[in-house]
Amino acid sequence: MDYPEIDRYASIDSPIHNFDPRAKIITFMVMIFSFVFLDSITKALVGLGIASLIYIIAKLPKAFVIHRLKVVFLFLFPLLIIMPLTVDGQAIAQYHSITITLEGFQYSSLVIIRALSAVTLALIMLGTTRFDITIKALYMLKVPGTLIQMLMFTYRYIFVIMDEFQRMWKAMESKGFKLKANRYGLSVLGNMIGMLIIKSYDRAQRVYQSMISKGYTGNPGTIVNFKLQAKDYAIALPMILIALFMHTYHLVL
Amino acid sequence: MHISDGVLSPAVITAGWAITVLLLLATLWWGKRDVDIAEEIPKISVMTGAFFVASLIHVSIGPTSVHLVLNGLLGVVLGTLAYPAIFIGLVLQALLFQHGGITSIGVNVINMGIPALIVYGVFKKGYSTGINPSILGTICGSMAVLISAIMLAIVLISTGEEFTEVAYAAAAANIPIMIIEGILTGSVVTFLLKVRPELLPINKEK
Repeated sequence: MDYPEIDRYASIDSPIHNFDPRAKIITFMVMIFSFVFLDSITKALVGLGIASLIYIIAKLPKAFVIHRLKVVFLFLFPLLIIMPLTVDGQAIAQYHSITITLEGFQYSSLVIIRALSAVTLALIMLGTTRFDITIKALYMLKVPGTLIQMLMFTYRYIFVIMDEFQRMWKAMESKGFKLKANRYGLSVLGNMIGMLIIKSYDRAQRVYQSMISKGYTGNPGTIVNFKLQAKDYAIALPMILIALFMHTYHLVL
Repeated sequence: MHISDGVLSPAVITAGWAITVLLLLATLWWGKRDVDIAEEIPKISVMTGAFFVASLIHVSIGPTSVHLVLNGLLGVVLGTLAYPAIFIGLVLQALLFQHGGITSIGVNVINMGIPALIVYGVFKKGYSTGINPSILGTICGSMAVLISAIMLAIVLISTGEEFTEVAYAAAAANIPIMIIEGILTGSVVTFLLKVRPELLPINKEK
């Protein structure tokens, strides 16, 4: 179990790192929503190209992006096998009753390219800002306070609970437990998850009491002040225009 | 189990977000009626964290490994607040681990969250009619995954008929998870009943 180190490289210096967090979220979300709905492989490839270009500007390490893209690719890879066999259309290869269709191949590639460009953009958006700053920026963008606080606290406690779980897991393993998908293994794992829930519940009570004693009222307090500058507009505007242009260029040209 | 970015059509994505926002408002409003939300926020958050961590556990079956879903257990333990908890969990999974896409969070929360709400009702009803809680837990655990799998297939097919066979394959891949979740949820429910019964929705009515 690894810590979610999404903002590990947030302290690098690049134009994307210095981009105002609120403007960054809006700009990248517009681009992500634009690129996932592109309807042809050519357009999707242009999208992926733009995403890669922004990646180069953001100076994030290769391993950080490649590793996470690989996970997404492996998750979607079965589409490349299933869809050419099942989608009707023009056959490019035939063996007895099995036909491989061009349409199926195109459709599944389109899905994968769109997914990869969306994930690349999401990684740049999240990887260039500290995660707590991202959440604060979401609050400034009027996401309801209840959800923001739940996001913030859950994120904070994931690390604590991971440590807690790993302690329990180590204790189990040192007593010779090996997790197998049989009845015994699963019922032992069940007890362990039950214990984790109880421990977390008790922790939650203590956390709540200590927060109340420090004057917690149920409203989020933020001390980060963001300031939009001319350079933020200079980055946001062209990127949003590109995102819109990808869907409306036939009206303009 | 999660749907990633780039798969679904604009109509399905929009509908997914609309339904999720409505259900979030409804469940949070419902939660606010009985208890102070200021008290609930830290509690649900820590519990969501626990479920998030538990869902990172991988169980290997044969050559592959599956990770736990636990939406049935979430429904049983958190009740209607399971919906916001699942929302937060999936947002963090999408943002931190790229499990499931950002645009498809709305749809994914429906697929996981609605079964959790149904299972909560089933557990409460079943317990009051006197069904053995560990059997009931097993049923709830597998039922939540089963409903999720069916909903996943429906969503995929409604985005385009090209996905029909993919949808069947994805749903079938969930059968082993269903069995694992069933046994696991049954065992967690039995454990909680012995050690800390107030965490289950059985004492809340009294």
